[in-house]
Amino acid sequence: MAGTAGIGARPLMVLRLATSPTQEVGSTPHGTLFIFPVTGGSFEGDRLRGRVLAGGGDWVTARPDGTLELDLRVTLETDDHALIHMTFTGLRDDANHYFRTLPRFETAAPKYAFLNRLMAVGIGEIRPDGPVHVIEEIL
Amino acid sequence: MTLNVKVAEPQTIGAVPHGSRRTAPLSGGRFEGPRLRGTVVPGGSADWLLLRADGVLELDLRATLLTHDGALISMRSFGLRHGPPEVMAAIGRGEPVDPATYYFRTTPRFETAHPAYVFLNRLIAVATGDRRADGPVYVIHEVL
Repeated sequence: MAGTAGIGARPLMVLRLATSPTQEVGSTPHGTLFIFPVTGGSFEGDRLRGRVLAGGGDWVTARPDGTLELDLRVTLETDDHALIHMTFTGLRDDANHYFRTLPRFETAAPKYAFLNRLMAVGIGEIRPDGPVHVIEEIL
Repeated sequence: MTLNVKVAEPQTIGAVPHGSRRTAPLSGGRFEGPRLRGTVVPGGSADWLLLRADGVLELDLRATLLTHDGALISMRSFGLRHGPPEVMAAIGRGEPVDPATYYFRTTPRFETAHPAYVFLNRLIAVATGDRRADGPVYVIHEVL
C-alpha cells in the first residue's frame, strides 16, 4: 500500500455501498451528526466476495475543524452465505483529499475466520453512485 | 514515530464474558519521530488487554503523551496480537522474540489541542509492535 511505507499490506476487498437519503440529526456535543443508512452494496476480493445487506449505516460527525469522523456498521453476506459483521472508524477531510478508514471484521464462519485476526486500512472515495472503499489487510 | 512504553505490573481481571482480561498500566516511556518527540505520562495511561477464546489478544491502549515543548496529546490505539503458541509463550516468559514471528499491529488515533500538533487530529495511523521484556516498542506510520 502506497500510504504505509514500511508496513506491508495486501488487497482484501473493494467495498461499494449504496445509501438512502441522509438523516441529518444536527448539532450535537461532538459536532454535526449525519446518518447515512446503508441499503445495499457489494464487496469483491480474491478471498471473499458478496453483497452488503440493508440495515447498516455510517454515523458521520462533522467536527468543528472541518474533518468528518466516520463510524460505520454493516453486515456482509458472502457468495457462499456466510455473514460477516463489519465496522470501521475513519476520517474524511475533503480539503486535503484524505479519506481513510480502519475496518474490523467479525465472523463465525471458519472459512472466513482469518478476518477475525487481521487489521486493515481502507482508502475511501465518493463516486456518483456512492462511496467506494479499497480495503487492504495490514501484513 | 517510534514509541517505547514501559509497562508496570499488570492487573489480572481474569475471565470475563469476552475472554480473559488484563490491564497493563504504563509507568512511562518515550516517543521520537521527525515531527514530534517526548515522553509518556504515567497515570491514566494503560493497555486494556483481552485474550479472546480464539487465542487472539486484543489491545486497547490509551496513553497521554507530553511533547518536548509541553503539548499534551491523547493517544488511543486498538490492535491485535497473535502467533504460534510457542512464540506467544516465550513472550509471556519475557524472552526476546523476533517480531517477525508473530502478528502485532495496532491503529493509533490522536487528539490534541496544541496548534503545533493539530495535524495529528486529522490522520489515521498503523503501527507494528515488538513486545520486549520491559514493554512494547511501536513503530507508528501515518497512513498517507
